[in-house]
Parts: sequence; structure tokens; C-alpha cells
Amino acid sequence: MPRPNPLLSLLVPLACLMALTGCAPRPPANDKDAVADYKQTNDPLEPTNRVMYKINNGLDAVTLKPAAEAYRYAVPEVARESIHNALLNLSYPTVFFNDVAEGKPRRAGDTFMRFIINSTLGVGGLFDVAKHWGYVNHDADFGLTLALYGVPEGPYLYVPILGPSDPRDLAGYGVDVVDWPFTWIGNGTTVYALEWSYYAMVAIDTRERVLDSLDQVQKTALDPYATIRSLYRQHRQSQLEAIRNDQRATVPAWFPAPTTQSE
Amino acid sequence: MWSRRQFPAIAALAVMFVLPRVSAARAAEPREFVRDVGDQLVNVINGPGGFAEKRAQLQRIVDRAVDVDGIARFCLGRFWRLATPQQQQDYVALFHQVLLNSIAGHLGEYKGVHYVLGRTTPHDDLTWVSTTISRPNNPDADVEWVISMTGGSPKIEDLVVEGVSLRLTQRSDYASYLQHNGNSVQALLDAMRRMLANQKQG
Repeated sequence: MPRPNPLLSLLVPLACLMALTGCAPRPPANDKDAVADYKQTNDPLEPTNRVMYKINNGLDAVTLKPAAEAYRYAVPEVARESIHNALLNLSYPTVFFNDVAEGKPRRAGDTFMRFIINSTLGVGGLFDVAKHWGYVNHDADFGLTLALYGVPEGPYLYVPILGPSDPRDLAGYGVDVVDWPFTWIGNGTTVYALEWSYYAMVAIDTRERVLDSLDQVQKTALDPYATIRSLYRQHRQSQLEAIRNDQRATVPAWFPAPTTQSE
Repeated sequence: MWSRRQFPAIAALAVMFVLPRVSAARAAEPREFVRDVGDQLVNVINGPGGFAEKRAQLQRIVDRAVDVDGIARFCLGRFWRLATPQQQQDYVALFHQVLLNSIAGHLGEYKGVHYVLGRTTPHDDLTWVSTTISRPNNPDADVEWVISMTGGSPKIEDLVVEGVSLRLTQRSDYASYLQHNGNSVQALLDAMRRMLANQKQG
């Protein structure tokens, strides 16, 4: 039997913990504006979420944030960009799987070409060569795929370590851990160490890229928790729109297409 | 008086020259406006002068190009109606400073910035003008400028950065603060004052 993924084994007890703690009181039905606010915010677990947010911030201040700052200080911009590219490249099997699941062949083709070109000419993904050939990076994950299938996002969740989420995206994340082929490659200490290093590097890289904007939110927002909630939802919505609006024809431009084919 | 023979010719001329101009002007105006404001901003950011001087230049651009009062009202949402006239006035005045501070706070990060204008799309009575903003050592960012033409002259109503609307984000921040502080507009005003005072110190 395959060994359970380290992240999943962490997340399951956390989910149970969250289920046990409190809910936000629903405002009285005669206060229509307050009820409308409550529905729009769609954060019935807000008290729990805020506790998680606080815990996460406390942990972040002594772990991930200093690590990301040290990473920024020690590693030059160019090298960080290359590391980012390489990490991104490793995630492409999952992106490809989701492009296909979303029924977006052109996007799947882009991801496929990016993986092939950047893994070879881009020296293991360190350089984004494919970008200059018209294969631009895009986002896809199983949370977005589920959204395209019509699965509602559900109430807002703030998950320790992973940050802002919702049941749909959290389930999507679990599926993506499973559909990532490297989860299933080999066994033993080396593979285990590599897998953990990958997750650690992704965390540090992601944190480094949001150092300034997150600082800005924490400095200028009156309620950073609510601002991050809004930013997360808007960001997911715009990712979803980008997929929906990508209606490019499947036949590439260079193919001698029949005259009826239109871009 | 025009003769019957001349009339069709004049009508044709009108159709050829005058009408297309009117519609082209309508579509071009928000675009030209964004180009104009964008160039001014880039000049301030990349130009000479100290922070105080640049901030003053920014203030002139913002006052002219941004519908700050409208955005302020939008951000307060349903609480605008709950505020007293004095609170409304104080709030709008504070909002002007908050907005200017948050733009001025980013001045340094945008050194060397340039942008490319993209397509223009109408959305109800607003026009979205898209731009791609590039700055050294940063990935390109897609920014939509939401322009309203209702007040006679074009005004910026919102910026949508990589799919995130700045005024919507601000509104949810204020709404949540109010919700956790007894729906008191006065508490919000005090918090805004404290935040501005902190920024002055920092």
C-alpha cells in the first residue's frame, strides 16, 4: 500500500479540530442588512478561522517569514527566478491533468509543450524558454476544475500552513497531491526527503513572492483577516474566469486549418 | 438653402466624417484618458524630486483623475446611510488621505515602471481599459482601469489588479471592521485616524 502523503496526514487531524470549534452567530432575521452581509461574507466558521489565522501568523513570524526573508537576502533575484521556474515545472503533470479534466485542450497543449521544452532546453525547468515561443504559463488545479464542474466553493476556511481556502479548494488540493506523479515514485528515505524538500521549497518560494504585498496588507488594512479573505476569493474568481474565457480553437495557428476554423 | 441635388452629397459627407468621429471619440476618450494619466504617473515615479515633492504631484493627478468621493462612498457601502452628515464629511476627508498614502507608499517599488495599453471594453456605464504594467525584476501585471464618463469628464472608479478590485477589497475591509465594532461609523473614523497617524510616524 502506498505511504500516505505527509501533508495529508497533517491536514486530516486539523480538519477534525476545526469541525469541533465554534461558529459565527447568525444575525437576527429582522436585521436584513446584517443578514445580507452574513450571507455575502459566507464565513460561518469565522471565529474558528480567526483563531487559525492568528496561530498561522504566529507560526509564520518565527518560521516561514524569516526563512523567506533569509532566502531573499541570500539568493540573488536571478537564481530565485530560476528556482521558481523549476518548482513550477515540477507541478506541470498536475496542471496538465487538470487542463484535460477541464476540457481545455489548448491549455493542456501549452502545459505539455512547456514541460517538454523547459525540462530539456530550459535545463530541468530552470529557464522559461517556452514563454518566448508563445507557450505562456497558466494556473490549473483541481479546486478550479471542480468549480468549472459547478461545485460551489462552500464556506470560507482558513487552514493552518495552507492559508485561505474553502472545502472545494481544500478537497482539490488533496486530489492534486494524489494526482501528482512524483507522490507515487519510489520509496525510501531519499524519495521521502526529496518530497519534503520540494514542499518546503514551494512554501519558501511562495512566501518570498508575497512578502511585500502581505506586509502591506497587514500594515494598511483595518481588518487584515477580512482583506485576505476578500483577496483570496477575488483571486480564485479571476483564475476561474481566465479558464472560462480561454476559448482558443484546438487547431494550432500554424496548422493548415479549414476556412471555417476561426480563432 | 441647400438644393435637392446637394443634400445627398452633404449627408454622405456627414456620414463619412462626422459620425465616425463621434463614435471613435467616445471609444477613444477613456483610452486616451488612461494613456494621459498613465504617462503622468510614470513621469512622477521615474522623475526627479524627493518623496514630499512627488507626493504633492501625485495628489494633483489623483484629485483630477480619480473619483475619490465616489469610491469613498462605495467603500462605506450600506453604512454611508447610517453615518451623520458630519461623519460622512470626515470620512471622505480621511479617505482622500488614506488613498493618497497607499498610492504614495508604493512609489519606490515602481521605479523604472512602464506600461502597454490593451483593449477597451464597455461594462454597463463604465469602460474598462486594460494595461500591462512591467517593472524591473517583477512579473508583468495586468491592470484594468475602470473609467466612468457619467460626470462629463472621465474619472477613474477602480483599478482591477490581476483580477482583484481595489475598491471591493477596501469595502470588505471596512465592512468587517464595522461589523466587529458594533457597526459604529465613529469607530471606523477613529481607526482610520490612528492608521494615518501610525503611517506618519513610520
